[in-house]
Amino acid sequence: MARENALVQASCVEATEFMDLSRKFRVTGVPKTIVNGSIEILGALPEEMFVRSVLNLPENDAPPEA
Amino acid sequence: MALLSEQDQRVVREHLTAIQQPVTLLLFTQTFDAPETARMARQALDELAGLNDLIRVEEVNFVLERERAAKYGIEHIPAIVLLSGEEDTRMRFLGAPAGYEFMSLIEAVILAGTTDSRLTPESRALISAHVTAPTNIQVFVTPT
Repeated sequence: MARENALVQASCVEATEFMDLSRKFRVTGVPKTIVNGSIEILGALPEEMFVRSVLNLPENDAPPEA
Repeated sequence: MALLSEQDQRVVREHLTAIQQPVTLLLFTQTFDAPETARMARQALDELAGLNDLIRVEEVNFVLERERAAKYGIEHIPAIVLLSGEEDTRMRFLGAPAGYEFMSLIEAVILAGTTDSRLTPESRALISAHVTAPTNIQVFVTPT
């Protein structure tokens, strides 16, 4: 996603090496993804579901506008 | 001892042939009291760089080069910043890239060495429509 859009930064954090970060974001299982320090995504998701989760969008397409 | 077996090296070298432009791996560490994981990270990066002429490793002293650390938003070491040519790809790895993380690093290097994000058209459309502000994604992983 970082490669796709210049506003996106993506970090892979080794949880056991950075316990302070892991505690801060209550990482008890991996993978766990944190977006802008607030949105939490647990586990590995299929690509499009992951993108939707990062963008905080509903899982399914919004109904077409009337 | 090498992290990658000869067979692994062959597979990874083949995989890395996709790269078309120079990739620099900036490794932020420190000279004194560097964590053991920084040494492990250096070895992993050196082995990776040894498999493709377009990949190079540059060590940055986190303590002495505060400005560079600040430029890339690095607050912890070891940290790896991937550059595509001179350009920051905004892809980072915190900690030694061992186990699965090494596989992710290889994929990130290929992304940095090419121009295609490899996302599906649907994902690209969502990103284009909905990313309107800085978005910081942190993926927590463990090496196993």
